[in-house]
Amino acid sequence: MQHLAHVMPLDGHAAAAAIEVTDLDHVYANHDAEVAALADISFLVEAGRFVVIVGPSGCGKSTLLMILAGLRHATGGTVRCDGEPIARPDPHRVGVVFQEASLFPWLTALDNIEFPLVLRHVPREDRRRRALTMLELVGLAGFGEKYPHELSGGMKQRVSIARGLVQDPPVLLMDEPFAALDEQTRMTMGHELLRIWDETRKTILFVTHSLTEAVYLADEVLVMSARPGRIVDRIDITLARPRSYEMMATETFGRLRDRIWRQIRAAP
Amino acid sequence: MTRLSPAAARWLIVAVVLALWELLPRLGLVAELFLPSLSSTVAVTVADWPEYAQNLLVTLYEVVLAMVFACGGGILAGSVIGGLALLRNLLLPVFSSLYAVPIVILYPIFTAWFGIGSESKIVFAATYGFFPVTLATAAGIRTIDPQLLIVARSMNASLSQQITRVIVPASIPTVLAGLRLGGALTIVGVVVSEMLTSAAGIGYLVTRYRTVLDSAHVFAAVIMILLLTVVFDALVRFIERRTAVWQSAGRISRASLREVVAQPAPALG
Repeated sequence: MQHLAHVMPLDGHAAAAAIEVTDLDHVYANHDAEVAALADISFLVEAGRFVVIVGPSGCGKSTLLMILAGLRHATGGTVRCDGEPIARPDPHRVGVVFQEASLFPWLTALDNIEFPLVLRHVPREDRRRRALTMLELVGLAGFGEKYPHELSGGMKQRVSIARGLVQDPPVLLMDEPFAALDEQTRMTMGHELLRIWDETRKTILFVTHSLTEAVYLADEVLVMSARPGRIVDRIDITLARPRSYEMMATETFGRLRDRIWRQIRAAP
Repeated sequence: MTRLSPAAARWLIVAVVLALWELLPRLGLVAELFLPSLSSTVAVTVADWPEYAQNLLVTLYEVVLAMVFACGGGILAGSVIGGLALLRNLLLPVFSSLYAVPIVILYPIFTAWFGIGSESKIVFAATYGFFPVTLATAAGIRTIDPQLLIVARSMNASLSQQITRVIVPASIPTVLAGLRLGGALTIVGVVVSEMLTSAAGIGYLVTRYRTVLDSAHVFAAVIMILLLTVVFDALVRFIERRTAVWQSAGRISRASLREVVAQPAPALG
């Protein structure tokens, strides 16, 4: 049971956690009916871990991420980041990468990356320097002056990751970032993300509906049930790092993926 | 045989039209009453230049003021209507229907209210241009990708930052399209109202010379209105190119744009 130590508050050492979710409930009003989106969610993510949330569509995993990003208020429970509650969006503490790259089409790649810094009135030279560093980190050096429509889907998502990281937040939330990409680009991007994670040592919480992606990327997988979303399983991914494409063919990989699938299917 | 470039072809068409304009009346194929020759049109323009210049200034003054009111008011009204869901649902259908009304029927009322001087032209033309600008601005704001606003909020952008950094740049292309249409309608409004009831302006000259069957003078005035719209169109295009590079190139990359232009078939402005 060693792996549970990474996600569950076993004793009073919760202060080290990058993300701490306790008894989270979320109910929203849909016309005149109340819909329970999330129920009784508690978990803990230690700093520097790569945690993936998987679940059937409509299980509220994106809602959970929006709450963690401070974009929505949960109807019950608490969310903490480095011990501090998240009352509103704060890109210094939590960076967010969305499903569609959602870059501003009227800004170049560099200007898109600088956007959060512009909002904070960071001086121009400082902004440019940090954006260039990020651009290089995500492997797009030389593409800074391109507009989003001149970039491929994978490149756009790289810019989006750079934008999420430009304020150097300890936590990066990713909401199905590669869902709109084709299979091959998706594999490459997964691999790239692991490299970026290795270089920056961020805590990453990654939502996906792809089981393969989940097992390939994660230290740990949280499996959610259909609505109202609850966490029905926590799986430690014991595969060695760095991950390689060959691992996908191994028996361990298959067994882990199978276990997640059975959990999702069995969940009511 | 080398193919003509589109620009060269355009100039060639202009040259042919000008040549026909001169030759058809000269050769007696068309009566000078219906089509005065190019040279006689130019001659009267030069001879009566002070009169044309003076009236052009009047028209220009009316057009500029009417555009300021139409665009300013349209953008303001469009932003409010587009931004507030309640107003949008209440007013947008009304505005869309009003847009279809031929507002020129109101012009006699405007002359009763504002006289036959420049004021009634400005008010009429501004009203005429106001609707397309309002509708385009409302549409521009309404059709902004909500995801872009969520992204901005995730970066803790304040409301004013969301407006200036996201809503305004995102709606610029649609608003510009509305300004182009509204501006053109403003010119139409000024000229038409001058033709109906007035004592000055290029439209007034058209009516006055038409009554005395002086076709060359009518054509000279028509040419001036044409030039006015051409200059306006060039101005809007220039602004469009400066502010919305990403939009015009959004769907077609620059390279393929060149290919499309090289093809004779589709007209690409």
